[in-house]
This record gives sequence, structure tokens and C-alpha cells, in this order.
Amino acid sequence: MENKRRLFALITPPSVFLLFFFLIPLVIMALYTMKSSTFGPLFPLSFEAFTTFFSNPAYFVLLLNSSQLALLTAVLSILLAYPVAYYLVFYTGSRRVILLTMLILPAWISYLLRVLAWKVILGSEGLLNQLLISAGLIENGAPILLFSQAAVLITLVYVWIPFAALPIFAAMERIDPRLHEAAADLGAPPSVTFWRVTFPLTMPGVASAFFFVFIPTLGEWVTPNLVGGVSGIMYGNLIQDQFGRALNWPLGALMSMVLLVLVGVFSYVFNRFIPITEVPVSS
Amino acid sequence: MLNKIKNVALVLLATAMLAACGGGAAEPNTQLVVLEWSGYEEPSYWEPFALQHPDIEPEYSFFGEDAEAYSKAQSGFAFDVVHPCGSWWGLYVEAGLVMPLDTSRLSNFDQLFPELTQHGVFNGQQYFIPWDWAYESITVRTDLVDEVPDSWADLWDPQYAGKVAIFDSGESTFLTAAYALGYDPYNTTPEQQEEIKQHLIALKPNLLTYWVDYTEINQLLASGDVAVGANTWNDAWATLNDEGYEVEYVNPTEGRISYACGFGISAKSTNVDLAYDYINALIDAQSNANMANDFYYGAANMDSVPLLDPNLVAVFQYDDPAILAQSNFQHPLTQEQREMMTTIWNEVKAQQ
Repeated sequence: MENKRRLFALITPPSVFLLFFFLIPLVIMALYTMKSSTFGPLFPLSFEAFTTFFSNPAYFVLLLNSSQLALLTAVLSILLAYPVAYYLVFYTGSRRVILLTMLILPAWISYLLRVLAWKVILGSEGLLNQLLISAGLIENGAPILLFSQAAVLITLVYVWIPFAALPIFAAMERIDPRLHEAAADLGAPPSVTFWRVTFPLTMPGVASAFFFVFIPTLGEWVTPNLVGGVSGIMYGNLIQDQFGRALNWPLGALMSMVLLVLVGVFSYVFNRFIPITEVPVSS
Repeated sequence: MLNKIKNVALVLLATAMLAACGGGAAEPNTQLVVLEWSGYEEPSYWEPFALQHPDIEPEYSFFGEDAEAYSKAQSGFAFDVVHPCGSWWGLYVEAGLVMPLDTSRLSNFDQLFPELTQHGVFNGQQYFIPWDWAYESITVRTDLVDEVPDSWADLWDPQYAGKVAIFDSGESTFLTAAYALGYDPYNTTPEQQEEIKQHLIALKPNLLTYWVDYTEINQLLASGDVAVGANTWNDAWATLNDEGYEVEYVNPTEGRISYACGFGISAKSTNVDLAYDYINALIDAQSNANMANDFYYGAANMDSVPLLDPNLVAVFQYDDPAILAQSNFQHPLTQEQREMMTTIWNEVKAQQ
């Protein structure tokens, strides 16, 4: 009896919080998709937003493009973060926490500032072009590297590397060093040890890193807004437009719901391969 | 234990409900809440009000774009005076957010350009009082292009490939494409709307980016990444010219787009007398000129023209009585028109 009470006391506050600040807003959002206008009454229900959205393939193409970009961002962030985490865990000994902190340090600066910094680097008179010109690699009149999908990708990968490194780092730290010793004792060369012992054991960390990067990137709108230009626009930009300038909240709500469903599907499919329960919580 | 939690939950709920009901009506005639663009709170724009009511300090709530102000007003934010631009005025009237005004209570009203005040009239009654007006046209870095465009249609010229930035607005881009195609943007058939959409998609190879706020386009033009700033306001030309760049503010053959912004009084205002005094102070010839000189805009008050910076008067022809009639003045939009334009623009942007 006492246990039940304690359990009840423990789960009530978060449940109430989730109810008011997650579930109810979500239901309101779902209802908004069926409103005929942003500020009008809910009834009579209208499916105008659905017609607009599903009759125009451009929205799907953009969603597909944004998914690809998010996927590429997640994969590149992991590819770049993995060796760094590996080096930190296995080669830096007691200094690894300091080095990890240094890796994460840029993430303490405002997200907006880190994105804006890339505007300074990639601009036509930016640092990168200046460097290339002074090295004699390109002539004057350098191409503008900003305002493209590539600029969005570079910026996003940069922003997310520390977040990808954290769960991988945590997964590697948990590997028992005796496993490596055992592998060596049995005559496995380092490459075989890596592929047959280390790599499989870090997969939950990699999976967690993938989710850390992929899901927020899919809904991203700040970075494409600042460095994306015409070709680097993402699905999230259009959602933001619907709630802002366009004042079409029903369509914006519908677009958000479609994104939510898509993320749900991705998570489900991914979870089939790597159960999320085995993913370590990053420190 | 459980009871305690229940109590805490009840208190929390009650607090939340109180907060939800808060922000209600202001005390009558003791304060004035102005829903205003940031930057317009400058006391020299309403000095006569300060002299008349030395004990009252207007309280400002700022917005960055019209959509934001409108949704704030729609969601029940209590304000007395609001400053939207002309194409939004109709929506405020349609939604019953503002009251019809008695212009005899504004001693400066007769000094305003009738061409501007007429846009604030709905159902035979004056709802909005114009204050600032400006153009939307093309600012060109003449040193970066071989030929300066002389029409809206020229924006599609392949010689400007990747050199153009256009205002990220469904309304402005729709108007631009309609004028370039020779249509009346306020009377389009569905076929013409489709043609306008395809025309805007065809503009994309020329576009480097969309610009959102004026500081952004001014920087893009200054850095030279953009040579042709489409749908830019007077300040783009004036700021770059002041900094010594070679710029021209085009007068397109189809006519510049122009617009006015102005003040309305909330239908729920409890400070109506103060609101009238405040608006009357804003449209005073000197106050109006102070604002216009700071932002390089036109002033709605005819008597402000002699007080404006003569260079700006010359460039923007503020002293030409026919100048307003020569440009394409932005009409108030209905909800349907606005939705149609923004939907088209979003579909254009989504197209990859």
C-alpha cells in the first residue's frame, strides 16, 4: 500500500506536467488542422488545409529533401565524431574529461551565434575565400559559398558534432578493457578487435547519436533561414512561415503533424533494429 | 501525502487559471498601451502629447511584422492604439478589432494627404489615420551590373542570375509578378494566379536569397553579394547612398509599389480620449517630419513636406502632388486574398 502511494506521488507531478504542457497542446494542434481559419471558430470543421497540403507535391518533395539533408547531417556528424570519441576514450587517459569538455565548449555559446559565425566564414568576402585567395588557390571574384544546401549541411554538421560525440563517448567508456585484453590474448589484430568487439558495443551510442542529430535537424529552420538562401530552404521554414507571415495556423499545424508522424515512423523503424532501451544515457 | 499533493495541484491550477484570465482591461484614462513597430517609440514623434499629458508615459508593446501584431490583437491583447500597414487595415475592421473614428477630434487631420486618408475608410467611416508612407521598389548597385533594370519585368532578365534578393512576402512577390505580367493584382482569375505562381518559380534562378528585414538586405547590397534588391524600401537606397555606395532607386515602368501605415484605436479601448490626443500628436506636421527624416519615409501630413530633408524630397519626389497617384498603392487585402497570395508564395518556396 505504502509503495503504491509512493509511486503515485512520484509519477503524478510529471504526468500532470506532461498532460498540460504536452498532451493537451498536441490535441489543440491536431484540432487546429481542421479549422477553416486561424482565428475563427472550430466548427464547422474544414479540411481546406488537407486539400492544400495533399494536392501539392512540392510539400512532399521538400519534406523528402529535408529528410535526406537531416540523414546526411546525422551520418556525417557521427562519422566525424566517432574517431574523436575513440581517441578520447582509448588514448588520452586521465585527460579525457578535460578534452571532452573542450570539445563541448563551443556548444555553450548561443546556437544563433555559432550559425552566424559561418556567415562570416562562408561569405563571398568571408574568411574561407580570403584564405583560398591568399594561398593562390583561387582568383579574385570568389564564388559565394553561402546560400546553398551545402552551406546548410556544413553548418548543421558543425553544430551537431559535440552532441553526436557525447553518447558515443559514453558507450565507449562502458566497454570493459578486459575485453580488449582477451581479444589480444586470443591473437586478434587491432583491426579485428575493433570491428568484432569495440564497434558492436558502441552501436547503441551511435544509434542514440543518430537520434540526437536527425530528429532536431528534420524540423530545423534557423540555420536554413540564415545560410540557406533559395535552394537551401527546409520543411521547417515553411512551417514557421505558416505560423508567422502567412497566418495560416491550420496549414502550419497540419504540416507539423505530418512531420511528427514521419519522425514517429522513422523512430519505429529504427527501433526495430536497435532497441532504444539499450541506448546509454549520455553523461 | 496525497492530500498535500491534491492541494498543491489545486493551487497550481488556480494560479494557472488566474494567469490565463489576467492581462485584462486597463484602468480607464490613466495609461495608454501602444502596439507599435520597434523604433517608433521615439519621444520626438509625439512631443505635443507629452506637453499635453506630462504625467502619462505611453506603454509600448513591440512587434516586428504585421502578422505578429494582428495575431496579438486577435488573441485578445489589450491595446489602445495600433500601427499596422495599409494592406492589413481591412482585416482589423473585418474582425471588429478597431473602432470608427471621429476625425473632428483630430485637429491635424485636415492637413493629411486625402489620397492617403481615403485608404483608411471602410463602409463610409474612417478607421485608420495614415502617418508614414514609403515605396517598394528596386535598389541597384549600379557598379555591379551592366544594365540597370528599368521595370519589374527586368528582374527576370538572365543577366541578373544569382544577383537578386527579393522580400520574403507573399503579398509583395505576388504584386511584383502581377505587375511584371501586366495584371491587376487585386483582380486576378485563378488562371492568372497560376501563371503568377509559375512566373515566380521562373524567377528562382535569378534569386540568391529572400530577405526578411531591412538590415539584412542593406548588408547584402553593401557586401555586393546582391546587386539587385527587389521590393526594398526607401531606406535601402538612402542608407547605402549615405555610406558612399553607387546605388539607384529604380522607378519601374509599371510604377513603384507604395504603401502607408497608420493608426487605429482598439474597439475595446478604455482610454479613447488619450488615444485621440496621441494620434493627433503623431500626425502633427513637425512630429510627422521628425519620423519621416529618421526613416527616409514620406509623411502623411502635407505641411511636413517643407520640413523634410531636401535631398530625400528630390530623390523620392515627395513634393510632387501627383506622386502618390503615379505609384501602385497597396490596397487593403481581404482574408481570402491574403491567404491566396501567401499560399502561392509558400508553394513557390517549397518548389525545388
